[in-house]
Amino acid sequence: MKNKRLVPWLMVLPVLVLFLSMTIYPFAFMIWSSFRQYDLSKGAETRFIGLANYFQIFSDSTAIESFKFTAKLLAVAVPTELLLGIGIAFLIRGVRGEKIIRSSLLVPMMVPAAVSGVAWKMLYNYAFGPVNWFLSLFGISKISWLGDMNYAQLGIILIDVWQWTPFVFLMIYAGLQSVPQDLIDAARVDGADWGRVFLHVEFPLLRPLILVALVLRIIDCLKTFDIVFMTTWGGPGAATHTYSFYVYKVGISFGWNIGYASALSVLLLLVSMLLVNIVFRLVRMRQQLGFGGEER
Amino acid sequence: MVRKFLAIVLVLLVVAVFGAVKISVLCSPDNADALKWLAGEFMKQNPDIQVEIVPLSWEVLYPKLLQDLRSQAGSFEAFTYDVMTTGAVSFGLEDLGEFMKKYASLLPADFDIDDFIPQVLEESGKWQGKLIGLPFYNNTMLFYYRRDLFEDPKLKQAFKEKYGRELTLPVTWEEVKEIAEFFTKKFNKNSPTEYGIALMFPRTHTLFYMYLLFFGEYRNAPLGIMKHGAADLEYGEYFTADHKPAFNSEEGLKALEMMKKLMPYSPDPLGSDYGETIEYFNQGLVAMVPQWTGPYLIFKSTIGTDKVGIIPMPGRSVSGQWALAINKFIPEDKKVAAFKFITFATSKWADKQKFLRFAVAPARMSTLKDPEVRAADPRVPALEVTYVSQTHRPRIPEEPRLEDITVETFSKILAGTLPLSMDTLNDLAKKWQEVLGK
Repeated sequence: MKNKRLVPWLMVLPVLVLFLSMTIYPFAFMIWSSFRQYDLSKGAETRFIGLANYFQIFSDSTAIESFKFTAKLLAVAVPTELLLGIGIAFLIRGVRGEKIIRSSLLVPMMVPAAVSGVAWKMLYNYAFGPVNWFLSLFGISKISWLGDMNYAQLGIILIDVWQWTPFVFLMIYAGLQSVPQDLIDAARVDGADWGRVFLHVEFPLLRPLILVALVLRIIDCLKTFDIVFMTTWGGPGAATHTYSFYVYKVGISFGWNIGYASALSVLLLLVSMLLVNIVFRLVRMRQQLGFGGEER
Repeated sequence: MVRKFLAIVLVLLVVAVFGAVKISVLCSPDNADALKWLAGEFMKQNPDIQVEIVPLSWEVLYPKLLQDLRSQAGSFEAFTYDVMTTGAVSFGLEDLGEFMKKYASLLPADFDIDDFIPQVLEESGKWQGKLIGLPFYNNTMLFYYRRDLFEDPKLKQAFKEKYGRELTLPVTWEEVKEIAEFFTKKFNKNSPTEYGIALMFPRTHTLFYMYLLFFGEYRNAPLGIMKHGAADLEYGEYFTADHKPAFNSEEGLKALEMMKKLMPYSPDPLGSDYGETIEYFNQGLVAMVPQWTGPYLIFKSTIGTDKVGIIPMPGRSVSGQWALAINKFIPEDKKVAAFKFITFATSKWADKQKFLRFAVAPARMSTLKDPEVRAADPRVPALEVTYVSQTHRPRIPEEPRLEDITVETFSKILAGTLPLSMDTLNDLAKKWQEVLGK
């Protein structure tokens, strides 16, 4: 009897150990480190300093600039990806060569970040890059995509949109396949044009999926690191420093200030949770006000 | 019979693989090809030691070294370290002076420590009096120019008409500016090149050393030395003799002003780094480029030796040495194997071979004096002058952090989002003091 009780525990034990050591322990260590002075470049000793690391964030101009650019990326790239992803998913339905288009659209998402970073660096090259060559066909003079504060930010946003629109597209496209055809047929019989079918049949059914895509993109966008690492290294100045890239620099690349990097990471986690909560609350509020369908 | 033979081969293989001491040598990609070749030669002479060369990008190598040494994990035996990270990694490096006394018999016959260029041994090999590394790649920056254009009679005539002086090789940045303007199509429609000079002022660590090319000229001029004192090899030219920031000065401002003045004659200076500027020169887009010693091989093979000229940097150059060191936190037998390898790789023979075969700049006086080397490589005269006049980055443990905050400020100044003023430089100096805890 006693052995029987132990069996389930023994069966989940490997996963439990893995989860505790790979997720819970690092997470707890991060929280613990964030309250300590812990700088590997000066030694492995740590000292409790209360909230000092957290207060430091608010007087750190680079952290604030990184936060601002990440907010910009979130505000511009994520809605653009959602609109483009939804739009493309609707547009390619029933088009000749739909399967080929569908597969081709997924390529950017499958390219490793290091490869796409190098590729985009070459595409953006001031003198020999195809992007400037293409613009020159329309009489537009050369743009310093990686050396000008504004264009560098735009450049990063464009790469993010290029890389992650396919993800939104894939989710919505998959969702569209599951919309019952009889509902669409019924709406058409009732005289609804494609716009009405989209607004009153397909969109409400897809809303949960769009919400998931939005939440995943918000979380992912806050973690943007690789494309900045591979293209601008956060410059010029701190114009394209994303928050995660700054955490990497403080914690690994230029600092080994584990304590401060942990505090920055905890803040990022709180912001992520807050944003995701806001999204869910807004959706709930819309439903309570009667603007949306039932929650699924 | 065949079975027996195979069994013997298998046993020998097992003995070879498991009987040998295996060492891993982490290195930057610049050093990798030469080290791989040297490792091959070393293993021929020392079959009991297996050497594995592991190249890691600059961005990855330093954090990896620091993390591993701090945790005393001992996951590699030897490594190359960049001169400016000396102070930060020094705590985890074996004292080679003591090791040499203990294992003097293991030194290669042609290993003469007094043959290393003294400044180079001091800068990349020593930290607070201890010998912790052996100079491997004595990198520095040189000034490459298109010799065919500088020697073109028509261009020389046109230059003289425009500027009232001969088109000579530049020795100051003011002269570079004039020549760069002449070779920029926007300012001279008859220029054979689109731009005069390829400059790399990106947000990466590049900008930190590029600044010294300009600052060094003013900082190390008699007036600069009178104001700031002579720079030492631990703190470098960024600091005064009493280890306070030196860049928040007239000399510091002048350096940034000159960098800004040169920017109109360069393709995308803020967005270009190492690879881009090499490509601009290689493709004939520019007439001049300040670059490290390595790209010469690329220029030689694409543009041709007759068209590429090399002179010491106008103003001052900057050192970028790499040394080989041994991880302190590994077992003694591995330390001995690593010691044998790094002394082999930095011996007189190796120093000459790596320069001739892989253009890895020499660290020994005997290589620079070698007639075969002098005949084979036109960089030698420029290198000799540069090694005794170049500037130095700080080697203190705080260097990476100082570098990052400095590059951010300089990048903003060059981009025009921060004013080029003494106040801006004073603010930066204050941040330095905070990092240094002064």
